[in-house]
Amino acid sequence: MPTRPAAAVAATTTALLLSLTACGGGESQGAGKGGDPVRGGTFTYAAAVGTSCLDPHTSPGDIAAVVQRNVFDSLVQLDAKGRLHPWLATSWKVSADARSYTFQLRDDVTFHDGTPFDAAAVKANLEHIKAPATKSLYASALLGPYSGSEVLGEHSIRITFSEPNIPFLQAASTPYLGIASPTSLKKFKDQLCAGGKYSVGTGPYRSERYVKNDRAEFTRNKDYTWSPRGAAHQGPPLVDKLVIRFLPEDSVRAGALTSGQVDAAAVPVTSAKAVRRNTSLRLTKQQSPGASYSLYLNTDRGPLRDERVRRAFQQSVDVDALIRSIYQGEYERAWSPLSPTTPAAYDESIKGAVRHDPAAAATLLDQAGWTGRDAKGYRTKSGERLALHWPFIGALVRDQRDVLAEAVQAELKKNGIDLVRDPVETGAYFERYGKGDYDVWDNAWVRADPAILAGFYLSTNLPSAGGQNVSHTDDRQVDSWLRAGAAEEAPATRETSYAKVERWAVDHGTVLPLYVPVTSIGTTAAARGLTFDANAWPQFAGVWKNTK
Amino acid sequence: MSGRLPPAGRWLLHRAVGAVLVLWGAASLTFLVLHLVPGDPVTTLLGASATDSAALREEIRHEYHLDDPLAVQYVSFLGRLVTGDLGSSYQQQQPVSLIIGEQVGDTAELALSALALLVVAALVTATATAGRRRRVRGAVSGAELMAVSTPAFWLGIVLLTVFSFRLNVFPVAGAGDWRSLVLPAVTLAVPFGSLLAQVLREGMEAALHQPFALTARSRGLGGTALRLRHALRHAAVPAVTLSGWLAGGLLGGTVLVETVFARPGLGRVALDAISGRDIPVVVGLVLLSATVYLVVNAIADLVCLWADPRLRSPV
Repeated sequence: MPTRPAAAVAATTTALLLSLTACGGGESQGAGKGGDPVRGGTFTYAAAVGTSCLDPHTSPGDIAAVVQRNVFDSLVQLDAKGRLHPWLATSWKVSADARSYTFQLRDDVTFHDGTPFDAAAVKANLEHIKAPATKSLYASALLGPYSGSEVLGEHSIRITFSEPNIPFLQAASTPYLGIASPTSLKKFKDQLCAGGKYSVGTGPYRSERYVKNDRAEFTRNKDYTWSPRGAAHQGPPLVDKLVIRFLPEDSVRAGALTSGQVDAAAVPVTSAKAVRRNTSLRLTKQQSPGASYSLYLNTDRGPLRDERVRRAFQQSVDVDALIRSIYQGEYERAWSPLSPTTPAAYDESIKGAVRHDPAAAATLLDQAGWTGRDAKGYRTKSGERLALHWPFIGALVRDQRDVLAEAVQAELKKNGIDLVRDPVETGAYFERYGKGDYDVWDNAWVRADPAILAGFYLSTNLPSAGGQNVSHTDDRQVDSWLRAGAAEEAPATRETSYAKVERWAVDHGTVLPLYVPVTSIGTTAAARGLTFDANAWPQFAGVWKNTK
Repeated sequence: MSGRLPPAGRWLLHRAVGAVLVLWGAASLTFLVLHLVPGDPVTTLLGASATDSAALREEIRHEYHLDDPLAVQYVSFLGRLVTGDLGSSYQQQQPVSLIIGEQVGDTAELALSALALLVVAALVTATATAGRRRRVRGAVSGAELMAVSTPAFWLGIVLLTVFSFRLNVFPVAGAGDWRSLVLPAVTLAVPFGSLLAQVLREGMEAALHQPFALTARSRGLGGTALRLRHALRHAAVPAVTLSGWLAGGLLGGTVLVETVFARPGLGRVALDAISGRDIPVVVGLVLLSATVYLVVNAIADLVCLWADPRLRSPV
């Protein structure tokens, strides 16, 4: 069987994606251009959340990825438009059955600790991710059905999988599968979570210090000459030092930005308007790819077993009006469980698939037998109220999702559906998650590949098995589409497979998509060169400050 | 020498036995509560992001001995504690002693500077206002009441807005230099200092009404000297008795203050550990705060003995 050179894949992907992403984005051109780049100085970014573990091979957090992108490079790069570029790998070939990938690697790359980068280093990383002792909470899942890697030469490696794995290149482009110095993996085995000097990669910045809940500090890697071809900035960073501060309080972060104590900051939706009004600041926004913020309906329990009730749930809520009034134009209403900026996936025709139609919803509920009414006006069947439970962790609610939840509750109440929010603590939350002890579950997940849908809809990915199939979907046809999506190389065919899943998920009432999450970053007038990657995460490789 | 200890020795032994019992009780209770509340630490740790979780679950369970019966876990947990081993954090995959060691300095710095600040402020306001005219006293006491009931969270944001964002006098947060310590310390000190001032003033006023105050005045002692030399000592006993509570309050208060000011420290470590069911870390922190309590109370008792000789006479 012939293998297809990567360049051809990239070209097809590009052509297709350009057409797809043109409509998504928003104000996405990074923070300001203009002026000649200035060398030196310190750039400070304020992030909203910290993390208990900074090892991207272990931690699933977005923030671990954002922080460690500065330190760990990947085999390939996926740009903001969804195009693949060589990075630590100069080229790659995918076998026809999509079960094996052969990479040619750069031979001029050195880790921060002096260890040379080679095929053995890649193998050591993949094996480290898969080893149970690493306790990988995400990277291992991203790597998928990995079965082994074979060092073909000093700078050549073949990675094989037990099943077709087309989403692998996207996975390989994330910091979660970033390449760490094999020396550090061995030497600092028990300290990798601690970040700081224990994080050793080949990236544009060297990791110097991490004080949990306070800051992560990086210095410029002056030897950095292997920027990915798709990156806006090439070569070593311009600033001497990069500092990422962790400021969890929204108002504090906003204040630090307006007073110029930080150069850029993650801006909550509630302060977006204020930042835009402030003429000395700039706001940049980028829609996140992956799973949009949605309510998943448990099809395996109680009243929601009945598809008519699920459809009624969807049609009872005026999503357009809620998103508009709560987020005041900052967020776009979602139509699909997939975000429109997900490469090779989004099917525009899904717009309008869920309509707000309370009358039709009422008819559906009548047909399903929920015809009685109790004293509070909720529908009943055989004396039992139409009540649905939605567990949540109060401390983790952000983005005004509590306001949104109350609004959804009020909408459902109009149609006699009692949506009960159960505040629970973390332990109980994930216990209920595993057991399927809920009717409604909310979720959003960043990933620049439609394969995210497999996590949510493959029948074998139930929460009890560690997956995210929270709607407990169990459908052969859906499984076959998802498997095809993971096996098809041509983006057009992939798109068709995943579009079918999106459409099926919405039509069968397994999900009520609410909004497309957005990364918004405020920058001071002097900040330059901040860009977004394919995950809508900020990139610091090319930042500098216009001090004139 | 019939094996009987001198009184000081007995006092120490008594204290030591009590301390061991308190620590043992605190550790056991924490251990039990965290194991009995619903939810499984492994499930909490894994969250919603891992596939392939059966093998991983097994691995974690085994590594942290969560697959042993609770009684066995408890005994080996006590065994490790006795040797001074606090175990390893589930979430951070580092020894608990290291995690606490790294952040205890920042919390101690904050709590101690707040303590110094609040004690000085309380002493000054109490001495200056005790037994003064009603209007002055009323105004100060009203202000204190307001300060006691001010949420530290709100106060912190107000201080930041004025002194950091507007005037740019102090940096927003972090740790390291004294400038970043000022606002958090003030935030933490205000409510506790106000309460202490009230207790001190009442104690001083009670003392000023006692016959000895009149005697002292008749010897020609001035008002301020009387307050400082005599009344203060009388007021010290109830105020010092408060210190155990104060120590707890300051430690608890660091959780909020550290969050608002984005300071590293044990408060936020505790918050993360509790919500993440990170049992070894929670137990370590409970033991640490129990130790602080014990030490503070021992010192408080000694101070009381010094301040009020009547307490020294054996019953």
